[in-house]
Amino acid sequence: MGKITGRMNNENEVSFKNIMFNGLLKKNPILVSGMVIAPVVMICNSLANALTLAAAFSVITFFTLLVSYFVPKNIVYTIRIIMYTFIGALVYVPSAIMLNYFIPEGIEAMGVFFPLLIANGMIVFRSETIFFQESKGHMLFDIIFCILGYDAAVILYGFIREILGSGTIFGKIIGMPMVFSGFENPFGGFILLGIMAALLRVILLTIKRMGQK
Amino acid sequence: MEFIKNIMLTAFTAVIVENTVFCRALGTSTLLIAARKRKNLVGFGICVTYMTALISVLTYVADRIFNFSEAGYIYIPLVYTAILGIVYVVTLLCMWKFVPRLFIAMRKYIHVSAFNCAVLGSMFLISKYCTTLGDYFIHGIGIGLGFVLAVYITAIIYDRLYSEKVPYAFRGYPLLMIYIGILSMAFWGLSSHTLNY
Repeated sequence: MGKITGRMNNENEVSFKNIMFNGLLKKNPILVSGMVIAPVVMICNSLANALTLAAAFSVITFFTLLVSYFVPKNIVYTIRIIMYTFIGALVYVPSAIMLNYFIPEGIEAMGVFFPLLIANGMIVFRSETIFFQESKGHMLFDIIFCILGYDAAVILYGFIREILGSGTIFGKIIGMPMVFSGFENPFGGFILLGIMAALLRVILLTIKRMGQK
Repeated sequence: MEFIKNIMLTAFTAVIVENTVFCRALGTSTLLIAARKRKNLVGFGICVTYMTALISVLTYVADRIFNFSEAGYIYIPLVYTAILGIVYVVTLLCMWKFVPRLFIAMRKYIHVSAFNCAVLGSMFLISKYCTTLGDYFIHGIGIGLGFVLAVYITAIIYDRLYSEKVPYAFRGYPLLMIYIGILSMAFWGLSSHTLNY
C-alpha cells in the first residue's frame, strides 16, 4: 500500500513538474505559442508598463477562465465562445476598478489594450483546446503556470526593452554606453520578441541535451 | 471631389499608414493562425472585412445610444462584446438558412475572424478617433483590409520561414516575429510619427 501511495505521489510530482515546466518554458504563451502579442509589442517598452500588463493580464485571464469553466459544455461551441468573451467583459468591470485604484497611470498608459485583454488567445482559443479538456486540478495548475510563464516573459521583455531602448530601469538612467531608441517602437518590439523566442529555443534545446546525457 | 479625396485618404491611412498589424500589432496572434494556409486567405479576408465593416456601423449606433461618459468606460467592453456576439450569431444563422454551401465553406474561418483583437480593437479605435458615420465605416473597412494585407504578406513567405534551411533556433515563430518587425519598420516609416492608442 505504502509502495502504491509512494508511486502515486511520485507520479503527481512528475506531472506537477511537467505542468510547471510547460507553462513557464516549453509552452510559454508568449515566447513559444505567440499568444497575446499585441499589448506586449505596443505597451511593454518599460519595466513599469510590463508589470502593469502582467497584473492586468493575470487578473482578467485567471478569473475569466475560472468562471468560464462552469459554462455548460452542451451549449453550442459558437455560443460558448461568445459567453467566454462576455464573461471576460464582466470580469473586466471589477478588475478595471481595482487596477485603476492601485495603478491608475499604468492602466491609462495601456490605452485600448487593457479592455482588449478580454478577448485574449488564452480565453478564446486555449480554453477550449487545452484547459477545459483537463481534469479540474490539472487545469487549475496549468492556468496558473501559463499565466506565470506569460508574466515572467513579459517582465523580462520589458526589462530588456527599457534598457536597450532608453538606457534606464524604472526610469532611472543606468549609464548605458549606447541606446537603441528603435526598440521603443512596435517594430523594435517585434524584433526583440523574435530574438527572445529564439534564445528560449536554444535554452530548451540545451536542457533537452543535458537531460539525454 | 473633396469628398472622394477624403475617402481615399482615410482608406489609405487605415490600410497602410496605420496598418492594424504592422503599426498597432492588433491581431498578430490571429495572423499566425490565418497565414498558415494560403488557400483559406480569400474566405478569411472576406470574413474579417465583413465583420469590421458591419461592426463599425453598429459601434457608431452604440456610441450614440449609450454616450459613454468618463466613468462609464468600464462598461464599453460589455456593449462591444454583445454587438460582436449578435453579429456573429446572426451572420451564422443567415448563412445557414439562405446559403448553406457558403456556411459550410466559411464556418472554419468565421470563428477566428470574429473573435480576435483586430476586430474588437477596431471597435475601440474607431470609437476613439472617428466622429461621423462615414468615418466609422471607412475606417472599419480599412482596418479589415489592412489586416488582410498583413496576413497576405505574411502568408506568401510563411513556408520559407518554416523551412529546414533556417537554423533551428530561428525557424518558424521567432523568424516570423523578426520578419513582421522588419515590415513594421517599413510601414512605420510611412507614418513617421507616434500613434496614440
